[in-house]
Amino acid sequence: MGKSDFFIRRALQLGVTLWAVATALFMLFRLMPGNPTAYVISPGMTPEVRQQLVESYGLNDPLWVQYLRYIENLLTLDLGRSFKTNEQVVDVLITYLPNTLVLMLTAFIVAYFIGITLGVFTGWYRGSRFEKSAVVTALVGRSVPSFWVGLLVLWVFGTNLGIIPMSGMTSLGSGSTGFWEMVFSLDFLHHLVAPVVVLAFYYMGYPLLIMRNSMLETLSEDFIDICRAKGLTERTIMFKHAARNAFLPVLTAAAIAVGYAVGGSVLIETVFGWPGIGREMIRAVLRRDYPVAQGTFLVLALSVILMNFVADLLYGVLDPRVTYD
Amino acid sequence: MLIDNNDVDRREFLKLTTATGLGGLASLAGCSSLESSSGGAENAGSELPQYKYLNNPANYNPARHDAINLVGEQLNNLGLNVKVQVFEWGTLYTKITQEHDFSFATWSRGLGIDPGVRMPEQFHSSNVTADQGNFTGYANKDLDPTLMEQLQEKDEQKRIQMLHDIQTTLGKDVPMHPIVQMPNIVAYNNNQVSGWTDHIVGYYHFEPMTNVEVKNDKKELRGSWAETLGTMNVLGYKNETKLIHQFEMLYDKLVRINSKLEADPKLSLATKWERPDDTTVKYKLREDHKWHDGEAVTPEDVKFTLDYVKKNKIPLYSTQWELYDSVSVDGQWITVTFKDPIGPVHKLFSNQIPILPKHKWNSRSNPAKASVKKPVGSGPLQFDYWDKGSELSLKKYGDHWRPVKFNRRIWRIIPESSTVWSLLKKGKLNYLPYTRIGKQLKDNKGKSNIGVQSTPGDGWWHFSQNLRKKGLDDRAVRQAAVHAIPKAAINKQILYGFAKEGWNLIGESFGKYSNPDVKKYQKQNGVEAGKKRLEDAGYVIDNDGTVHFPEQSSK
Repeated sequence: MGKSDFFIRRALQLGVTLWAVATALFMLFRLMPGNPTAYVISPGMTPEVRQQLVESYGLNDPLWVQYLRYIENLLTLDLGRSFKTNEQVVDVLITYLPNTLVLMLTAFIVAYFIGITLGVFTGWYRGSRFEKSAVVTALVGRSVPSFWVGLLVLWVFGTNLGIIPMSGMTSLGSGSTGFWEMVFSLDFLHHLVAPVVVLAFYYMGYPLLIMRNSMLETLSEDFIDICRAKGLTERTIMFKHAARNAFLPVLTAAAIAVGYAVGGSVLIETVFGWPGIGREMIRAVLRRDYPVAQGTFLVLALSVILMNFVADLLYGVLDPRVTYD
Repeated sequence: MLIDNNDVDRREFLKLTTATGLGGLASLAGCSSLESSSGGAENAGSELPQYKYLNNPANYNPARHDAINLVGEQLNNLGLNVKVQVFEWGTLYTKITQEHDFSFATWSRGLGIDPGVRMPEQFHSSNVTADQGNFTGYANKDLDPTLMEQLQEKDEQKRIQMLHDIQTTLGKDVPMHPIVQMPNIVAYNNNQVSGWTDHIVGYYHFEPMTNVEVKNDKKELRGSWAETLGTMNVLGYKNETKLIHQFEMLYDKLVRINSKLEADPKLSLATKWERPDDTTVKYKLREDHKWHDGEAVTPEDVKFTLDYVKKNKIPLYSTQWELYDSVSVDGQWITVTFKDPIGPVHKLFSNQIPILPKHKWNSRSNPAKASVKKPVGSGPLQFDYWDKGSELSLKKYGDHWRPVKFNRRIWRIIPESSTVWSLLKKGKLNYLPYTRIGKQLKDNKGKSNIGVQSTPGDGWWHFSQNLRKKGLDDRAVRQAAVHAIPKAAINKQILYGFAKEGWNLIGESFGKYSNPDVKKYQKQNGVEAGKKRLEDAGYVIDNDGTVHFPEQSSK
């Protein structure tokens, strides 16, 4: 099978997967206990007005009619309006997704850079004290709840030392600016440091451990001995030959992790008052705001599926041994 | 464990509420529900049925969750067989208000600015079907006329007497009873903020907000809220407190009610009003007032607003637009003609609908779904900027006839309450528009730079009983249940003493409207008082403490 056949087959699979996810989401939210109208209808309203409200949400139609309308809207990229605020779900995504991405992607870049670098050295210096410390650090980072680390960081560096901001993306009362203008301001970077450090501490363990294991496998292969026999420097062998070959599994993991980044980190967004999509997603689920909940979960699913797809393609591009059969 | 209201050990108390909560149901009164027990109840009828007390999850409202568990426990101690069941809020609300699938229910309710407006909705016998306000199923044909007539009575003294009669009757029949009267409460940084004045609806009201003074570099009032605001559409929101706070100051109302519960021309867009007959009200509009964009506020804007709200059937103001037939303008006077006579017209109508600029709304065909990015009103605060999900800033509108005493009011969205309190102590924030009663408030109340002001509010945690259930259709059983509510313990241990024990649906905060002679239930040893009430009514309590119907009623 050629590359184009593989691409078409995977694209079709992607479509089917998305449809399955969209259907599962639709059913899941409607099977959950709870009535979305309970949050917006008050007993003071007349029956006529109550009925009008329910009809405006389309909740009086049979489930299959609601489902068909939902799929039809999805095909035209209409994610609907929030039950709670009447806002277009697309606008909700446009508002909160960039904030989440800028936080999560920065954290991922930091985490993967540090994780991969440490992974290379821990693999290379196997059995050393350095390796033990790095592995323990990685395991602690993965095990300790990140929200607790976040609260600790806030308490020490925010409340007591006063060197990091306590909440949000900008200083209180700093006014409204454009997104990019904000992102490149010192105030924003000051607010970004603490949540990025906490997230990176959590996420770096994964690439570190994968890279270490992959390095150990690579270092036991014959071509490393050949490199040494050729008289290459240890540094050249470590980075140019071992790390490069060991890098593939990390790359796949990184692509998938980027997919998950779209969902944000609800706990970190809450602890640091970061106005991201994760917080909105949870709020929508709790309030039975179906359109917003479905829309945000769909975007999350789409990004994970897409990044899986990208990882598959990248593997083929980077490793000549991989075929498309 | 029996809770004596005057002697509560906190550790025991918390163990009890937690254990009850974890179990998800209160223990049964000395016997298994699967077997009948009638030891010592030879002349008794059958046991009372098992009752369901619906509870919200702990994370939705922890204090109320614990309180419900505690009341459930006390009802079991009384000898009733009560199972406390936890439901997600939407499910709970549907089960109670639509399906009537409950025996006891508790959540927060408020009467608003007029104590009589919600009475028919909650207690009129024509309102007992699904999704209507009278979910307890209370029907009293003798009370029905009074419930309706008080809304049409213009003479204040007569109306007060009617409301007193209503309170007396409801105090005896107890379909609904207040557990605790909830206060309006505001915590603030007293180095920067002062001059709060009380108002029954809360400190966000126009009057306290235009009285409060701020001392800091930029003269900014800085508060926070846990949730994002969502919308700036005054016709398209869902009556959420966080948005009421904004629209209260962005828009003017024809008439505003002051802290003495009187219509006050000094606070109102109208400077005079007249009532030529029972179904007509005339308002004289304030002259030379302008919208935030500089256009003049005219009587045409008022007529447009009232017609527009009615024509588009805005759900939020459905109670109001169903009241009036037509609106006309004559010079600076606006005449509103109502379908039926209304007594407290200013509390029920004139102070409710925000007046909108015609030139901004005229072109909006679907106002409830309109996307409003920069609202234009005529109130004492005008829109400054809104970073969705992050911050809202409203600035002083200097041309208002009653300007605020600060330059800007900023709200930052901060979900984490420990962060909020930390920022309040540092002075980065200087007031908490929604001050939740809890440990943070208790611990910080004594700090030198933290001020806490509270005043009795219009709301309470209600204890409602479903009169459709066998046993609860008898006033004696309902009264016994009310006796058993450990109000003092709930207030002292769960609400840290910030609330007040509730005895009357129309509390003392309503001044002369509150009837001081309403029946008081047992403050101490409530379970014993409840048992006595049951026995006096012929019910039999067996050796296991279980309540049985009187023999006759069983037969």
